[in-house]
Amino acid sequence: MATVQVSEAEKVYILHGIRDDLRVDGRGCEDYRHMEIETDVVSNTDGSAKVTLGDTAVLVGVKADIGKPRPKVPNEGYVEFFVDCSANATPEFEGRGGEELGTELSNTLYKVFNNKHSVDLKSLCISAGEHCWVLYVDVLLLQCDGNLYDAISVAIKAALFNTKIPRVHISADEEGGKEIELSDDPYDCVRLNVENVPCIVTLCKVGHRHVVDATLQEKACSVASLIISVTHKGTITCTRKVGGGSLDPESIFEMTEAGKRVGKALHAPLMKLLQQEESLGKARQKVGFLG
Amino acid sequence: MPDCFPHAVTFPFLCTTMPTDTKRVRGPEVSQSPTLFLCKHVAVLPSHGRRADGRQRDQVDVRPVFVRCGLVSQAKGSAYIEAGNTKLMCCVYGPREMERKDETDMKCGKLTTDMRFAPFSCLERGSWIQGSQDKDLSLMLHESLQPAVCLHKYPRSQIEVNVMVLENSGSVLAHAVTCASLALADAGIEMYDLVLGCSIRQNGASYVVDPSYMEENSCSSVSSENQGGLTVAFLPSLNQISGLQSDGEMNEETLTAGVRTCIEGCYKLYPVIQQALTKAVRRAAPPPSES
Repeated sequence: MATVQVSEAEKVYILHGIRDDLRVDGRGCEDYRHMEIETDVVSNTDGSAKVTLGDTAVLVGVKADIGKPRPKVPNEGYVEFFVDCSANATPEFEGRGGEELGTELSNTLYKVFNNKHSVDLKSLCISAGEHCWVLYVDVLLLQCDGNLYDAISVAIKAALFNTKIPRVHISADEEGGKEIELSDDPYDCVRLNVENVPCIVTLCKVGHRHVVDATLQEKACSVASLIISVTHKGTITCTRKVGGGSLDPESIFEMTEAGKRVGKALHAPLMKLLQQEESLGKARQKVGFLG
Repeated sequence: MPDCFPHAVTFPFLCTTMPTDTKRVRGPEVSQSPTLFLCKHVAVLPSHGRRADGRQRDQVDVRPVFVRCGLVSQAKGSAYIEAGNTKLMCCVYGPREMERKDETDMKCGKLTTDMRFAPFSCLERGSWIQGSQDKDLSLMLHESLQPAVCLHKYPRSQIEVNVMVLENSGSVLAHAVTCASLALADAGIEMYDLVLGCSIRQNGASYVVDPSYMEENSCSSVSSENQGGLTVAFLPSLNQISGLQSDGEMNEETLTAGVRTCIEGCYKLYPVIQQALTKAVRRAAPPPSES
């Protein structure tokens, strides 16, 4: 993980600030930094989104392929996650340096989506036991400035919202053989229901309090953080303690409560924003990577 | 010399697409256990009444554990744990000189964890090569153990913890944490506290503590709300949670109650582990005979 050196005096300054609910950049303890979202940024994908959160930048591309359903669940498709920590983000990721963080992030994403409601996997089935859609969700870290989990989860939700899966028809001939037919019209697509896709909230324990959306400096002052993924209804789909320290049970309960509150509040504006962008259609001005 | 590996002939494309361990005889690349196709209906377990192994539902009814230290004489410390059919062993090597000197922080020691499943440990055959699930479990083990070990007492050195799962019958991570902390203590590594692990499986309104493999992987037929698993690593005398992981779907109250249940489960385990440890110490350094 990208790390910064923070001196003892700086640490004390950050700690005292957080104790008084005033962080170095002027935010309160449960405030996010400025977030920018743009969908449909890569034309070769079926759905894509770019999210910047402070100086953290994440690009997510979703590709839909036709594959074979898993034998355990023949009537469902599946979603694959891959997180790439490119050396662009920090020189520490060069070579195999980013691999460890990449597997950690993607394993957490599998846990976050390991439930029946996040993505309707049954809608990804084409013909039971034979063909299904496989969604490859590829996450690319472009810049690291703390709070990767939250940025990634928002970007994934936006990219899944943007995903258009081509409509397919199955025709059976006289001998019972099945044939998959792809629609000729490129606009004849199926959209995913992303209502229940959770967002991740990372709470960093700094001193006796916890902060949302910690910068790298604040992260350096904390011993442990808690990751909570929350749906719009407030259901918790994944929690996880990260970092080298331990936490008091009471503070875990407090952090879960705060995480649920913050996560729940995150969904409505995000969905509104995505729908707003979608409704603009072709009139939308594209910002791209330099905006 | 006649070819003595029949499947090397039958499957000439073997080992061409993926980097594999060529020194071992493997089955064909795509083969699945027949049980996958057989037991579609077996996965649904009743959600009331006694559990399959006679334990109580909705109560802190952990499986009786058998633990012993010092079964590998070559290792600095080792431990074996058996709970129901879950069997795993752990070896601790070190502290020894750090392998990679380029690590920035030389004031602290380094803890490395490695958790592996024997290929025959699960219902379906696994691979000898560490998969992403194993890596994830290793990371969870690392995060659970690190807060308990006094790493500042071992500058410039590393301590290796290796866990081998011999038989997987559920709650593997929880027992791995317990077993590894016992092995660390047996190795004489200075620690703040023992680390105990406990997991539960929530199934609608009811829960099972220390779930078996079947209970872990069952899909409930009743409600889809509040489905999930939770694993907690706990430092009993410091009253701190060093590891927390949950997946599935749970609301906040269920999660909080689940964490409390897990802590209770850890306390049930505590005397057994203490006893095993005192027994090991007594054997290593018998008390002076009173004469």
